[in-house]
Formats: sequence, structure tokens, C-alpha cells
Amino acid sequence: MIELYHVWKQYQKPGWALSDVSFHVERGDFWFITGPSGSGKTTLLKIIFREILPTQGQIIVDRRNILKIPDHKIYQLRRKMGIVFQDFRLLFHKRVFDNVAVVLQVLGVPRKEIRRRVFNALRMVNLHNKMWEYPSHLSYGEQQRIAIARAVVNHPMIILADEPTGNLDTELAFEIMSLLREVNKRGATVIICTHDRELIRHFGQKILFLYKGKLLRKESL
Amino acid sequence: MAAVFFLENDLTPEQIDNIEAKLKESPLVLEVNFITSDDAVTRFKNKFPELEGIVANLKANPFPASFEVTLRENIMSSSDTADFIYQIQRIPGIDDIQFNQDWVERMQSFSRLTRAIGFFLGGILILASFFIISNVIKLNVFSRKDEIEIQRFIGATNHFIRVPFLIEGTMLGFMGGAMSLILLLITINLLPLYLGASLGVLKEFINFRYLTFGQSVNVMLGGALIGLFGSLTSLARFLKK
Repeated sequence: MIELYHVWKQYQKPGWALSDVSFHVERGDFWFITGPSGSGKTTLLKIIFREILPTQGQIIVDRRNILKIPDHKIYQLRRKMGIVFQDFRLLFHKRVFDNVAVVLQVLGVPRKEIRRRVFNALRMVNLHNKMWEYPSHLSYGEQQRIAIARAVVNHPMIILADEPTGNLDTELAFEIMSLLREVNKRGATVIICTHDRELIRHFGQKILFLYKGKLLRKESL
Repeated sequence: MAAVFFLENDLTPEQIDNIEAKLKESPLVLEVNFITSDDAVTRFKNKFPELEGIVANLKANPFPASFEVTLRENIMSSSDTADFIYQIQRIPGIDDIQFNQDWVERMQSFSRLTRAIGFFLGGILILASFFIISNVIKLNVFSRKDEIEIQRFIGATNHFIRVPFLIEGTMLGFMGGAMSLILLLITINLLPLYLGASLGVLKEFINFRYLTFGQSVNVMLGGALIGLFGSLTSLARFLKK
């Protein structure tokens, strides 16, 4: 599903953000990428959804070399992915429903179908009774659940989550992780960046350890 | 604008008809009125009743017959008018012409000048509206940067992101055009009332005229087009990333 071959990344500053990272993720896998701050976790995710380009290396997603996709066709790659950010990246001037519906509007899904699918996605994260509220009126945990509903509403093949529990307490973090596990059980490939060892211990199956941009080891529990 | 062509005495009705036909042939001519010698005397007497006695004492009618010709107001140029006068002057039977060419030329050069100033100011305003709309859209894009970024992450095409801004720019331009038409209408109706006597002799020559339907539509469509291009240019750089 996702294959990285000798990926290197250097930003403007000296030193490598990623050094010779290679790994394969199979369809339906549930992976954690972990490491201390600045180890390159977020850079790795950004490269996979092609927000940034690697300095060297090749990345294959769903049998397609994503570095060969022209800029104006990147949407084709992104439509296969659902992305969850640490800072949620919600539209705070829009209601919960609209925040989730925007994904389907982009895809040109009919209005009636949007209503049905958004309701189902919000029910999955237990927010269906708050879908007409504004995100700013909800708690952090609820906001992150909106972000998860948005990421899964179009049933993407891949879910990428960058520190999805970074702003949450332990109880909420477990709740969010359970949701992502549930999404994975429904068939999506899930990659989560986190430095929360407790979560990894509890939910971890396959783990990548990054340190200073290098892939130290891979573990399958 | 008018010109008077005085006729020689003792012309036959055929000769007079011939002159009238030639006058009416010209596209510059709006209206032709034939004034007989008797009509001219009557007019004189009505205008200057105190001089009626002098005219009565004359043995013959001193006033010649004439054609009073009204020329179109939107005549192409003073040279066209001069050519027309020259041609009519050469027709046998025309004795004299009353026509103020200097005044016409001055008015026409004044008209050319105001038109040039109009074009210049219009050009500046078009450029200004282009940059204003472009900047409004740029600010709008900037204020919705996060939303656009989210749209890009969830797989929106550039087209999907661009369309609302293009519609906005086009509508701004269209409404700008419509508002300028309303302002023009108000100005045209109020300015002559306001200026009134201050226009003096110019009042006869300055003709405040509203745009035709076609011109009004063009102004609004032009505004919409400026808005569309303004938004396109402001989006082009942003969506290149």
C-alpha cells in the first residue's frame, strides 16, 4: 500500500530531517511511528501525503509513484487519504456538520447522500447529536473526534494521523485511539505519529522508531 | 447645429426642388425647411414690429428665399461639415450661406479634448478597479488561507477552490458597473439642474445623454470581466504552490 525507498529530506537548515528511510506498509496495517520531538515523524507523514517533496528517494502509494504526480493532480492522491492533525485544523466558523461535509462536497457527492454519510461518520464518533453546533463550543476531545469523522467520511484507503492525541488527556487519548483502531478494523490502513509510549504499549502492533531522521528499528508485536 | 442657404432671386420651382433634394441627400442633414421671401418678411415683422413701417415703404421684398438646414449633432468632424457646405455652395442658385465654421471647429476640438480626457480617466479607473478587485480577492484568499489549505488536504481540485473567488470577483465587477450606471443616471439628471445658468451659451452645445441599453450592458459586462481577471491574477500565484 505504502512503500518508501531510501527517502532523504533536508530543509534549508543544515542536517537531514530524514536519512535513508525505507519501509513498507501493507493494506489494512495499523502502524505507529514514534520517536522524540524533531525525529522526523511529521516530515515523514508530510512526504507521504505529498505536502512536501523528499530530497531523494521514491515513494509508492497504492502502486503509484507519488513523486511523478503533477501538482494539479495531487488531489487524486489526497482523495485516497484521510488526514488527522494534532491541531485539528477545523473550520471554526462552520458547524460540525459542514466541517465533515466539506470532504464530500469536494468529491461532488449529492446533497442527500452527504447528509446520510456525514450523519453516519458523526455517529461513529458519537457526535451526531452535536452536528449543528460550532466546533468552538465543543471540548478538545470532541474537536479531535470531528477531525476523525472528517478523515473517515469518504472511506479513504489510508488514514494518516499526526499526534492525534497530543492535546488530550489520557482518557480522551485512549478514546481517540480506539476510534482509529475501529476505522482500521473496517479496512483502512492507519499510520499514527505519536510519542506517547502508553498508547503504543496499549494499541501498538507495528512500530517504527525514528531518531534524528533515521529509522532505528521496526517492531511487530 | 444649423446652416442657412440663401437662394438667388427668380429661381424656378424645379431649381428650388433640385436644391432641396441635394440637401436631403446628405447623411449630415437632419431637417430641411424652405423659407419663402414672404415668410422671411413676416418673420422680420414679428421679430421687429417697430421696423414694420420701413419694410412697408420698400417697393420690393428685400428678403431672399432660403433653406434652413439642421445638421445632425453627432456629425463626424468639422471637415465633413465644411465639405458639405462647400458642395452645396457650388450648386447653381445658392447665393449666400450663413454658417459659423470657426465656432463649430472650436466646439469640435473642445469635444475631442473632453473625449480624450474621458478616455484617459476611464483607463485609469479601469486599472484602478482591476487592482482594487485583485487586492480585495487577495485579502479574501489570505483570510481564508486555512480553509483553502484544508480543502487542498482533503483533495479539492484547484478549480473547486478557485470558482467561489472567481464568482466573487465577477460579481464585484458587475455590481461596480451597475453602480456606476446608477451614479451616471443621477449625475445626468441632476447636473444640468444644478449648473443651470452657469452653463450659459454652452448649454446649447453640451448635450447630457444617458448611455444606450447596449452601452449599459457593455459597462456591466466590462466590469464583470475586469473582476474576473482581477481574481484570476490574485489566485494564480496562491494556487501555484
